[in-house]
Amino acid sequence: MRPFRRKGRDVVARLDPAEADVLGLLLDQLEQLLTADAADVEGDPVMARLLPAGHRSDPELAADYRELTETALRSGKTDDLATVRASLPARGGELRLDGEQAGAWLRTTNDLRLALGERIGVTEETEPPDDPDGEEGQQLAVYYWLTALQGSLVDAVAAGRAGRR
Amino acid sequence: MAGPLAPTRTPETTVDETADLDRPWVTIVWNDPVNLMTYVTHVLRELFGYDEPTATELMLQVHHDGKAIVSSGPRERMEHDTSRLHAYGLWATYQQDT
Repeated sequence: MRPFRRKGRDVVARLDPAEADVLGLLLDQLEQLLTADAADVEGDPVMARLLPAGHRSDPELAADYRELTETALRSGKTDDLATVRASLPARGGELRLDGEQAGAWLRTTNDLRLALGERIGVTEETEPPDDPDGEEGQQLAVYYWLTALQGSLVDAVAAGRAGRR
Repeated sequence: MAGPLAPTRTPETTVDETADLDRPWVTIVWNDPVNLMTYVTHVLRELFGYDEPTATELMLQVHHDGKAIVSSGPRERMEHDTSRLHAYGLWATYQQDT
């Protein structure tokens, strides 16, 4: 991967073919979760993190909030995901995003990190894997790869805002 | 009570019959181990229009104290702010201020 950098109005990165593959798979998994029947993913901690309760201690308020917002939140996330998929170079290569696409990539890579982080139990103390082999090491390696990708995107987008002033 | 860093926007007065005017509603962002500090700052700037120092201070408050009030006002607007934060994957809730 070559991390995101600002180029004029766009942000540009480069992905290896294997990285584009992994990202494609992660997008498929996220889409499955977001489009699943509510009953099938009820109690899934990943869904609870992607669509959190709006209130901590008042179940009635939390239920009101969910009814009011869940449909729009789900469709916003699936729209972002579709934007990311459409702009992802299938065999790797240059990834060039305008401002709107960059926003979708920011939110979707964040959702992927939230989902993966929840699955593998990331805490404040988690560190990159010493041994990236084995299933756990691989998942952690993917998590940190996503972190690097998203981190560079945040910086590149923020640099654009500084430039606008 | 909201801290000194709480947003300065003035809540609109509503005619909600249950409104306790002394206790506005607030939107809280909670710390979590995944969201990047730079991302949280970016989102607070993007959604609430905070300048960089204010957004950074709020982000650090989330990071160090575990939470920060990022907006206050009528209940409906806090619902809306919470859902905008959820769209960005921040861990947010709203409640009547204590």
